[in-house]
Amino acid sequence: MIDNDFDRRDFLKVLGWGGAAVALSGCGNTSIEDGKETVVSYVHAADYVIPGISVYFNSTCAQCEAGCSINGRVREGRVLKLEGNTSSIINRGKMCGLGQAGVQHHYNPDRVREPLLRNGDKGETITWEKAYGLIAEKLNGVSGDQIDFLTGTVSGHLKVLLGNYLESLSSENHFVYEAVSPAVQRAANMKSYGMEMPRFSINKAKVVVSFGADFLGAWVSPVHFSQQYAEFRKGVDGQRGVLVQVESKMTITGANADRWLVVRPGTEGILALGVINALGAAGLQLPADVAAAVKGYDKERVSKDTGVSTEHLARLAALLKERTPSLVLLGSAAEGYAHGSENAAAINLLNHVLGNVGKTIEASSAVPFPQIAPATGNYAALRLANNRLADGQCKVLFTYATNPIFTAPTEMKFKENMAKAGFKVAFTHYLDETALQADLVLPLDSALEDWGTIVAEYQPDGVQIGVQQPLMEKLYPNTRGMGDILLALIKQRRAEEYKSFDDFYSYLRTALLKNKGEFAEAGVDEDVYWNDLLSAGIINVGGNVNKLVDKISTNIQLPPPPERDKDYPFTLIPSVTASLRDGRHTNQPWLQESPDPLTTIVWDSWVEIHPKKAAELGIVEGDILEVESRNGSIKAQAYLFPGIHPDAVSIPLGRGHEAMGRYAKGYGVNPFQILDRVFDKETAELAMHETLVKLRKTGQRIIVVKDEGPVGGSQQGRKIAVSVSSDQVDLSEEV
Amino acid sequence: MSVSNLLENWSEFRHKHPVEDVPHDPYKWAMSIDLDACTGCNACSVACYAENNLPVVGKEKYAHGQAMHWMRIERYWPEDDREFPDQGAQFLPMMCQQCEAAPCETVCPVGATNHTPDGLNSQVYNRCIGSRYCSANCPFKVRYFNWYDYPTTENVWPAEMTQQLNPDITLRGKGVMEKCTFCIQRIRVGQRSVKNEGRVLRDGEVQTACQQVCPTNAITFGNLIDTESKVHQQWKAQRVELAVDEQTKDKEEGGSDLRGYRILEELRPYPSVMYMERVRESAI
Amino acid sequence: MKDIREDIAWAKINKDVLKSLESPRKLYWAILTVAIAMVAVAVGCEVYQYNVGMGVANMDNPHVWGLYIATFIFWIGMSHSGTLLSAILHLMHADWRKPIYRFAEAMTTFSLMTAGLFVAVHLGRVWQIYYALPYPNERGVWPNFQSPLLWDAMAIFTYLSSSILFLYVGMIPDLAICRDNIHSGWRKKLYTLLSLGWEGTDRQWRNFRITYLTIACFLIPLAVSVHSIVSSDFASSQQPGWHITSFGPYFVAGALYSGCAAIITLFIILRYVFKFEEYMTLPILKKVVRLTFAIAMVWTYLNLIEYATVWYSHDEASKHVLIMKATGVYAPFWWMMNFCGSIVPLVMAFKRFQTNIPVMMVVSLLLNLGMWLERWMIVAPTFADGYYPWTWDHDQWPSFVQWGIVFGSFGWFTLLFMVFCKIFPSVSMYEVKEMVYHRSLANKKLEVTGMQESGKGAH
Ligand SMILES: Nc1nc2c(c(=O)[nH]1)N[C@H]1C(S)=C(S)[C@@H](COP(=O)(O)OP(=O)(O)OC[C@H]3O[C@@H](n4cnc5c(=O)[nH]c(N)nc54)[C@H](O)[C@@H]3O)O[C@H]1N2
Ligand SMILES: Nc1nc2c(c(=O)[nH]1)N[C@H]1C(S)=C(S)[C@@H](COP(=O)(O)OP(=O)(O)OC[C@H]3O[C@@H](n4cnc5c(=O)[nH]c(N)nc54)[C@H](O)[C@@H]3O)O[C@H]1N2
Ligand code: SF4
Ligand code: SF4
Ligand code: SF4
Ligand code: SF4
Ligand code: SF4
Repeated sequence: MIDNDFDRRDFLKVLGWGGAAVALSGCGNTSIEDGKETVVSYVHAADYVIPGISVYFNSTCAQCEAGCSINGRVREGRVLKLEGNTSSIINRGKMCGLGQAGVQHHYNPDRVREPLLRNGDKGETITWEKAYGLIAEKLNGVSGDQIDFLTGTVSGHLKVLLGNYLESLSSENHFVYEAVSPAVQRAANMKSYGMEMPRFSINKAKVVVSFGADFLGAWVSPVHFSQQYAEFRKGVDGQRGVLVQVESKMTITGANADRWLVVRPGTEGILALGVINALGAAGLQLPADVAAAVKGYDKERVSKDTGVSTEHLARLAALLKERTPSLVLLGSAAEGYAHGSENAAAINLLNHVLGNVGKTIEASSAVPFPQIAPATGNYAALRLANNRLADGQCKVLFTYATNPIFTAPTEMKFKENMAKAGFKVAFTHYLDETALQADLVLPLDSALEDWGTIVAEYQPDGVQIGVQQPLMEKLYPNTRGMGDILLALIKQRRAEEYKSFDDFYSYLRTALLKNKGEFAEAGVDEDVYWNDLLSAGIINVGGNVNKLVDKISTNIQLPPPPERDKDYPFTLIPSVTASLRDGRHTNQPWLQESPDPLTTIVWDSWVEIHPKKAAELGIVEGDILEVESRNGSIKAQAYLFPGIHPDAVSIPLGRGHEAMGRYAKGYGVNPFQILDRVFDKETAELAMHETLVKLRKTGQRIIVVKDEGPVGGSQQGRKIAVSVSSDQVDLSEEV
Repeated sequence: MSVSNLLENWSEFRHKHPVEDVPHDPYKWAMSIDLDACTGCNACSVACYAENNLPVVGKEKYAHGQAMHWMRIERYWPEDDREFPDQGAQFLPMMCQQCEAAPCETVCPVGATNHTPDGLNSQVYNRCIGSRYCSANCPFKVRYFNWYDYPTTENVWPAEMTQQLNPDITLRGKGVMEKCTFCIQRIRVGQRSVKNEGRVLRDGEVQTACQQVCPTNAITFGNLIDTESKVHQQWKAQRVELAVDEQTKDKEEGGSDLRGYRILEELRPYPSVMYMERVRESAI
Repeated sequence: MKDIREDIAWAKINKDVLKSLESPRKLYWAILTVAIAMVAVAVGCEVYQYNVGMGVANMDNPHVWGLYIATFIFWIGMSHSGTLLSAILHLMHADWRKPIYRFAEAMTTFSLMTAGLFVAVHLGRVWQIYYALPYPNERGVWPNFQSPLLWDAMAIFTYLSSSILFLYVGMIPDLAICRDNIHSGWRKKLYTLLSLGWEGTDRQWRNFRITYLTIACFLIPLAVSVHSIVSSDFASSQQPGWHITSFGPYFVAGALYSGCAAIITLFIILRYVFKFEEYMTLPILKKVVRLTFAIAMVWTYLNLIEYATVWYSHDEASKHVLIMKATGVYAPFWWMMNFCGSIVPLVMAFKRFQTNIPVMMVVSLLLNLGMWLERWMIVAPTFADGYYPWTWDHDQWPSFVQWGIVFGSFGWFTLLFMVFCKIFPSVSMYEVKEMVYHRSLANKKLEVTGMQESGKGAH
């Protein structure tokens, strides 16, 4: 990596007239011959562009909320590849597949390139002046409480500016919606540990029991936890870490577990209490109220309810008792029920009982400037926004970084309700399902063209503020940074206050320099400091450590597992995969063609069903099944999958787009659409795993497109991928 | 003219694997992959697409077995008849094993796939005539043939996306065989840059794209000759040797506290990739 | 059962054979049209494949070889008939070969020309095909002499050129006859040119015989080596189902087998189309059939040897491939091949069928189907299974492009053959004369000693 400390502004300006021409005249994309472009001689190459030599710039990954710091390889003014920033404590130079596909977000051929105004069914290209004018006009005479902003997670200075804009509109209606979020857990953690997101130290634990937390896949901060996991496997005090995963559908984390315990859907909490009970039976001193609370959860009952054998229960308790510290994690699979919060409380209680709080669960630091701390999203926000739309309370709707028409259950009728708002503005990169319903579509710069700061919710140590900076000149002249747009809009209301900021860049620079004293040694020159900051791509601040509480709550009401519904015999598990998540990146071809790790399927959706159940129903691989809930039905190919409870079927989220460009549209189905509206009682979050479905064979059968061959995951007795028992090897002795 | 060239150099040309008369010096590139660390996340595979200009062939061609993933992550289930895979799945990153005595090399009629002095199985795209014999003879089936002219195939690289392409490597046209190269372009850039300094590459100065991205550091790549390199030390600790078809682990009683093995090494391709067995806890 | 008459006039032989060069019958045109149509199908498929990419043939990774290689081996095998009849039987002084060796030799040449095309059709970058030849070049880049494919290329090239030479040299006296009997037009010019001033002088005959014999001697090892080299494409690889020691003789036997079977087919067709009953007599057919039967049994034996060695080896992967051949997706074809290759020829053991033309027509076609299947069953199942279970591929099925080109290759062969028959005498006039002469001499001798039995030839 080259730590250049030249002036980034000059660099970009230079790129503006030199590098960009080079960039755009790349192979297969040249318009030099037809005279639209000028040849820029490499003999007189632009400053900072050394033909043939790559330069690397740090920025922040915007593909998910984990906030990994990235290191972009730039050559001849084009960004070629994203690598990890080795100085980042979140990802330490590493990345996930989703993050790397960020370049395909940037170069995506289906990006919106011009502001579009709805004209019947079509979008008509308009100028930005006209677009801004239109917004001003539409806001005229609308009161603040009739203006809604529906966004995904926002943090950093963009969040500040957005807040200021809302304030200038006297609106308090900022709804932060994430379709897939650890919202139940946040509430439960708040109760148990005194903070929404404490630090989890997998690497310090000797045993990790994860109740459906897919920390190697899509949970919270996967790259970070994968690194912790690697250390954990190497072991603490020479003892290799043991992973036990409890869930009804195997995640990639479950696939890496030493013991994967399949439970009847929704009984995670019962198992947690059962383990506590067993720990007590094994001689662990339990506080009296805890002992009382778990009294009914004896081995036999728990085994009967959950389906986990008494033997495994006893072994798990013995292991937890013997090897400390341990760590119990709680993930979306446990949260996604009407009693999700109760499950979460039971699971967190296990951590308390095991004495992990303070050891492997540690206090996180508060972001020193609360205004830039992330506004984390949840489902409840969408519910509120939707109700307001339904009731006609919202006259002007702005959407940003969210696609509720795709992710909201059809039953919510979000699309119909959205139509009731008089004027809908979508700030977007693509014409996704939601943007298609907007009246005004404003095209955004890609994450690799834009400025900003990103603060992740999960912080492994102190607080790391990620700096987002353009890695190259804009590809299209008529896209705008979200910050620039907000600044322009806010100037419509408070011109005086913001007149000193030409653009979001100057706003950001000013804001960051204002706090220079906090981060840098005194007396450092502003420009030097600024360049160092951009070069590093991250700002690490200590932040005040939150106060960890170790609060035991034993008031847990777990329902017994319900009888199976005769009409709808299966629980639908909409699974969240590491690369597609809630579907916002489905249009990145690397991700479409990156096989699902467990099924190896590409480019399509599938229904996972246990082979035993499939045999019972006469279902074979590739059968097109109609999966019907009380709220709709979808059709997808069957995949016989041993890692799922026979009472459940699972369909991955993220596919099934009806818009969003050539790589997303028309591939697979969207299980969000058929979700039942069942909510967690405490947090009002959508209980994602509470949808019951029935299956119907349609009679069609197709060949499943996957990497795995006809003998599936069998090695045919050959020595290909080999396993060894832990008592035979000592990893701590290894290099 | 080169008949003399042919007569004099032929045997030498075809002996570039570690028989003692021609040892690799100063480089022998090798890898080790820790299957206990690998989570099967696929990040390495995506990195390989990004680094090596691999085409995304699309659903239809994928269905026809024409995918071009140089690095594929295989997922195995336990073979016994248990109802659930309650010890998880087993993942295996599989790419060209850069065999020292590569079965693919001897059969290529035109010598388009060769052994380099630094111990790589090279692939000379320009020379390849597309006979596919190399793939037929590769025991691991890690060679990928360009069944179509992907650079000109619709939606593989639309104009916008071509700007992402790595200029350090060509785009392969139809009819050419390709496979993992151990990111040769990175190795060559590294080698040339240190040549000017009159030294050899140090461990870590060149990383393969898959190694670089791997969140669990499951992949180690380096110079097997360099005793300081991690890959050397891992091979040594696991007592895995390059030009041997049975390792200590399998040979000796009590050798089983080792995890290092090579896949299909009994066929004597002498792979340059050592795998380390996945571990599963016995107490649970 | 009539054999060639000994009292047949030499002028009649000339007249009968030359007649076959004249205005074709309707049937000829019909066959030619069909052949051209078949070629057109293949050309269409190839153009499509060339433009769009090999992918349209529906091969995949790792199933990288398909019908092209299988059919390539098949045609190479066919080519062995000519050498067998012309060269080997020539050296063995089997005179019954004389009326039929010419077309068998033509078959050799045309099957090689067909086989060669499959190399081109198969290559991903056919425009670079010359890279596979060891031509001297400035860069000092040589092909890889370790690769059997390279030797394949060289062997086929050599075999083809030698076969053409052999065919041509053996035809010179006949070409002179043509020259002398045809008085105008392009044919006259052609025959004049090609007959190289043949006058039939003693000196010419002596030189001719030496040359012909030399080429024959040269051709025999070449024929054996060609198919041995083709077999080493497989035998010298490391793949299960391929690295089998007996492949050399097995391939050669298979080649002779299919060659002989094709001779029977063409014998019957020519006999009918050109009304060559006088020359292509049933006793000759009987001899060919018996020869074919013997070769069939050799092939069967070698085939069983192959199964047995695999079965009793400790090579699990090879054993698996064998089991999959018998039980997997290719099983119908594999069983069919064994049936056609080893059971059907048993019909030939019965005297009464040996000269039964309809039966022999069907049998010979079935034998060739079996031999074609044999090649496919060598190539494909190893790709469907193999060492590495993850990449097993049981779904692969050749697309219409592969089938179209294979289909068209038969048209191409027929086309070449039909054109040949109309330009060159497909029965060797001078050798038939020799044969008749020798027989009558022998008969006279027998008459003198009073030992003649009617209907039996001299040898
Ligand atoms: N950085 C870098 N350097 C390289 C290479 C690389 O890949 N990267 N490649 C190397 C290689 S392989 C090569 S071949 C060289 C090429 O290096 P050069 O030979 O320098 O190649 P060009 O720049 O293509 O052409 C030279 C000049 O010839 C002019 N010209 C064109 N037609 C004619 C004509 O008919 N008559 C005359 N008199 N002039 C004409 C052109 O306008 C141009 O100014 O560069 C080498 N240097
Ligand atoms: N538009 C345009 N086209 C041109 C020219 C031009 O001036 N303009 N110039 C022409 C000329 S003069 C030339 S010489 C050609 C050059 O054309 P190419 O030969 O295609 O040249 P490069 O792109 O320099 O290199 C080929 C590839 O080799 C890879 N490589 C590097 N080292 C190794 C190695 O050890 N093994 C393998 N397998 N690969 C390696 C590189 O990463 C690169 O991808 O281009 C010709 N084409
Ligand atoms: S985990 Fe999220 S932030 Fe990190 S690299 Fe992956 S997508 Fe980017
Ligand atoms: S990136 Fe690492 S952990 Fe992920 S699949 Fe590849 S080798 Fe395994
Ligand atoms: S793994 Fe296959 S392609 Fe790679 S060197 Fe070995 S034989 Fe050749
Ligand atoms: S496909 Fe290319 S590299 Fe492979 S054997 Fe044929 S010519 Fe050689
Ligand atoms: S070493 Fe390079 S070419 Fe090989 S799999 Fe890894 S990234 Fe791909």
